[in-house]
Amino acid sequence: MNPSLLANAINRRAFLAGSGLCLGSAALNSLFARDVAKPNFLLPKAKAKRVIFLCMAGGPSHLETFDYKPKLDELHGQPMPESFTKGQPIAQLQGKELKVQGHLTKFKKYGQGEQYVSDYLPWTAKMADDISIVRSMVTEQINHDPAHTFMNTGTAISGRPSMGAWVNYGLGSEAEDLPGFVVMTSVGGRNPQPIASRQWSAGFLPSKFQGVEFNSTGDPVHYVRNPKGVSASHQKKLVDAITALDRHRNQAINDPETDTRIAAYEMAFKMQSSVPDLMDTSGEPQHILDMYGAVPGDGSYASNCLLARKLAEKGVRFIHLYHRGWDHHGGLEKYMGQCCQLTDKPTWALIQDLKQRGMLDDTLVVWGGEFGRTPMYQGKGEIGRDHHIKGFSMWMAGGGTKRGFGYGETDELGYHAIKDKVHVHDMHATMLHLLGIKHEFFTVKHQGLDWKLTGVDHSHVIKDLIA
Amino acid sequence: MYLTRFLWIFLCSTKFVLGEIDFNRDIRPILSDKCFSCHGPDEHGRKADLRLDIESEAKSDDLMAIIAGNPDESEMIYRIHSDDEDELMPPPEIGKPLTKKEKQILEQWIKEGAVWADHWAYVPPVDHPTPEIKDMQWQTHWIDPFALSDIEKRNFRPAKEADPVTLVRRLHFDLTGLPPAPEVVQSFASDPSDKSYSRLIEDLLDSPHFGERLATYWLDLVRYADTVGYHGDQPHNISPYRDWVIQAFNNNMPFDQFTREQLAGDLLPGSTTQQKVASGYNRLLQTTHEGGLQLKEYDAIYAADRVRNVSEVWMGATVGCAQCHDHKYDPYTIKDHYALASFFADLGDRGFNGNSLPTKRPPEIQIFTPEQQAKIDQLTEEIAQALPQEIIPQWNALENNHTEFSSQLRKARNNRKDRWKKKLAELEPKYLELTDQATIDRYRALVGKKKKVENQGIWTMVSRAVKPRTMRVLPRGNWMDESGPVVLPSVPEFLGSIQTDNKLLTRLDLANWLTDTEKGIGLFNARVLANRIWYLLFGRGLAPDLTDFGGQGTPPNHPELLDRLALSLVKKNWDLKAFIGDILLSKTYRQSTLPPAGEFSFQVARRLPAEFVRDNTLAISGLLVPTIGGPSVKPLQPAGYYRHLNFPQRTYEADKGEALGRRGLYVHWQRQFLHPMLKAFDAPSREECSAERPQSNTPLAALVLLNDPTFLEAAKFFAKKITSEGGSSVEERLSYAFQHAVSRPPDTFEQKTLAALLEIKEPTTETDWTPVARAVLNLAETNLRR
Repeated sequence: MNPSLLANAINRRAFLAGSGLCLGSAALNSLFARDVAKPNFLLPKAKAKRVIFLCMAGGPSHLETFDYKPKLDELHGQPMPESFTKGQPIAQLQGKELKVQGHLTKFKKYGQGEQYVSDYLPWTAKMADDISIVRSMVTEQINHDPAHTFMNTGTAISGRPSMGAWVNYGLGSEAEDLPGFVVMTSVGGRNPQPIASRQWSAGFLPSKFQGVEFNSTGDPVHYVRNPKGVSASHQKKLVDAITALDRHRNQAINDPETDTRIAAYEMAFKMQSSVPDLMDTSGEPQHILDMYGAVPGDGSYASNCLLARKLAEKGVRFIHLYHRGWDHHGGLEKYMGQCCQLTDKPTWALIQDLKQRGMLDDTLVVWGGEFGRTPMYQGKGEIGRDHHIKGFSMWMAGGGTKRGFGYGETDELGYHAIKDKVHVHDMHATMLHLLGIKHEFFTVKHQGLDWKLTGVDHSHVIKDLIA
Repeated sequence: MYLTRFLWIFLCSTKFVLGEIDFNRDIRPILSDKCFSCHGPDEHGRKADLRLDIESEAKSDDLMAIIAGNPDESEMIYRIHSDDEDELMPPPEIGKPLTKKEKQILEQWIKEGAVWADHWAYVPPVDHPTPEIKDMQWQTHWIDPFALSDIEKRNFRPAKEADPVTLVRRLHFDLTGLPPAPEVVQSFASDPSDKSYSRLIEDLLDSPHFGERLATYWLDLVRYADTVGYHGDQPHNISPYRDWVIQAFNNNMPFDQFTREQLAGDLLPGSTTQQKVASGYNRLLQTTHEGGLQLKEYDAIYAADRVRNVSEVWMGATVGCAQCHDHKYDPYTIKDHYALASFFADLGDRGFNGNSLPTKRPPEIQIFTPEQQAKIDQLTEEIAQALPQEIIPQWNALENNHTEFSSQLRKARNNRKDRWKKKLAELEPKYLELTDQATIDRYRALVGKKKKVENQGIWTMVSRAVKPRTMRVLPRGNWMDESGPVVLPSVPEFLGSIQTDNKLLTRLDLANWLTDTEKGIGLFNARVLANRIWYLLFGRGLAPDLTDFGGQGTPPNHPELLDRLALSLVKKNWDLKAFIGDILLSKTYRQSTLPPAGEFSFQVARRLPAEFVRDNTLAISGLLVPTIGGPSVKPLQPAGYYRHLNFPQRTYEADKGEALGRRGLYVHWQRQFLHPMLKAFDAPSREECSAERPQSNTPLAALVLLNDPTFLEAAKFFAKKITSEGGSSVEERLSYAFQHAVSRPPDTFEQKTLAALLEIKEPTTETDWTPVARAVLNLAETNLRR
């Protein structure tokens, strides 16, 4: 890519050392967005405008959701054949006896696409014809923290930008008084795994591209509420005074950053009302609340799905939801029940709601965890499964993807992806492609290297997934 | 300012207009960026068996890539102009086409004889002669002619000296990270002579806050934090290391010694407690305490982490890039990477130690304050005197039994406990056979007292050498692949070697090599350090890329000056205070950041770093508690911010009282959830080395200054100060507020605007004045270092 076009956005250093095309741009840049003429990583046309990424944190079992393997039931209880596991990375089952664990639920085929979906997901089953299921995902990291980092940044090394930051960096944001990358979380299920703010970091990109967490309790954004005893009109007066004084002084000291700062204060004040308004779902019609199963202000995944739709309507580019509770080393039946009960219907509602508003066509929705779970038994408490990275399932919907489609296969026990393998980097490449970005040209120079979300090795856009 | 930037870009981008081509400045960056990934150091990625990073190969008769003096016959020139997509270089699919200008430069260079030079960072700095300059006033300090000559060559004038108030503020922020007291500003403004300028510098270099200021930067480099970083992000014990860094800077420890103590303090002969604390450097990396981790995987992750950090911090090099393959742009091989990692193979830092808070990461030692230590020494002495000398051997034998049985009792399950209780009871009469009950009681009371004091000590992680684990080259960085050759500690091959006498090299050898200016690469590394100090004092490095002095880094804009600075640092025996003090005396340092058209300044205005934004507000308002060192503190923080942490779950409890007024560098550094205030002002998470912080300007930062309770509290306190100390009239008080925040009185517009915030006619109370205090603390100028 042409470095001179990008220099503008990278940072002051690049600005100063790079080239002469970006004069005075700091002040002109939108605060959350970036304006760049038309960089050469852009495709002529984009199918998707935004992404809603539904991360099922902890790693849902593909063998209890989308990947049906009759052989697994047949071999249930028997030693796991060594041909599958020899020399493979193993997490908590290291040094333990490895036994085959049959499915803990039933599967049926749904929709015109005849996609297998398990009984745990009745609402997803209903929309089988809206989604494209990938059953051949692979990742490189077997522990939660690095696996999330890998799924979000394409590497396990800390300090790299997450995909939401990349996408905003590449396309800018259409949201006027909201950040372009918003994160929301909910909890429910087994032993919620920690999730680090690194997962929505801007890494070496400018911090304005970082994900901003919207909280369902307390202040929706840190410090967005006026201090106690300060009314909105007082706050307005104060902000006006600060900006007036800054503007006045800047006639003498002429610091271009001060112009940006004035705009930041104005935007901050706007956010003080726009963010709480947005986070308040009590104005939604009852049938919409019922469809999601959302109770305003409850902090549930259901409410977050509803908020995701509102954010999408406002033009937020990347909306990332985490539901923590899918780490089913034990008690898988019980906890799958809980997690699915909390997430299945709201996910369906989100897709239907986007559809009925005509937004599904240009909104890419992605569902999945940081990895899948072993075909082998683990027994922490009741029956469970360990982390598994060599084959698992995710799905995509909208944003130009096929509908009612299945892609890729794992082997007869659901261990290795054997047909049409989709590496995390391929998923990223496909996502970027749908957003109108040529992933191989979408690079940023940092410490002398051209970094890509899709890594060093050759990654592929999965064309078959695209409608 | 626009003009300055314009000029700066102009200075950097119009170099070719000057004619002569300089290989390091003009050619190597093109070759590195556009050619080396296929024709560079990485053996595996190499195409057509052609190397363009080595002169003899690039100019070899076989491939005729470059024929000096003859661009028309040079294959390179033919290829870069080719219309045939299959022949064109770089290949279009790589997406890095050469610009027209780059093609011209390559052609011109070959035409002029294709003069080659070693990479600038891999040759020792040269004692360049002082350049000729026209402006004689700029000849008093040795730095100035170097700075001025470039400006004059382009027919510009240097920016004038900043006004005294700006200078006194600049010096305070640069050397202590705190604003000047109004009296100091006044005294300097009334006598801004060279003499009082020098005295000011001396005072500030002697200030105990000098160490805090430099530590704030050093802690970014070495990725110091209070938590482990991965997964549960549990706290770990390390704050004494931070205090050691502060003291080392305050005591002006020479940088070579500073290096030795951190990398190998535990290996120094007669290693002191403080040197062991310093060796905590090796423990600062991120670690995981996630169940189900694969030990060997994390051995590899930790090894690579240490290589990345040590090479970025000391060498300004990205040796970390050679983890999976030979470096694409610099001459580091994958073997170099693992050989460097081998130096750290004696640190038994492994795996999972449970989820306690703080987590346990042995080896750790306990540190005592001087008062605690004195008490311990005194009690030890008293204990030694408490018993008649002749019974001590038998007594100690009993004590050993006592310890053993007590420990068994603690471990025993319910029904076994009685056994150990009985055994302990049986010991009692044996004590009485040795001495009387009163002596026994006295002795035990003393022991109890000593234990109580000892429990107050703070733990800190240190290095302790164990038998080094076998280190192999991991092909493609894959920790499961054990086919790579075993490597022993050694330094990157192209940078020489360390004499071993067949002994295994240690971390101490590495530390010595890094700063040894004769047998090691101390001269190269002096450049890295000098450049970073320049960046701290000016706002940008002479070489713009602070962490990459390799082929992909941008070469220095002022290489001669950088060389001379590096040599000056070495000649001063790595004395940082002397080095910094010297730079501050130059006219170049004193330049205004506001040059009119036709003038150029090396100085850049910039917002204060995150910690100093906090410190500055606390200092202005009078809330600052200037205590140095101690355990990290927890300021107020939004509720629920740690709710995503687990193993175990945590609720944040803010400190109370004085701790709330401590400086930003003492704030608990939670890697995964850094305090939102620090984060909003671009403080790094410290997961990796950061040598330069970005300067963002976001609404989130504005919200912090407007609404964070700490800043509100400070505003209220400031308002109180304004009303109690700021005179009686509104004008006097506004002036007082302004003087404290920006070191100058308000003008009429400012007076009027602020006065409008006073809601009532006769404002008297703290509440009346709080809006004014908030406004003043929020000003851009208050938080700006100019």
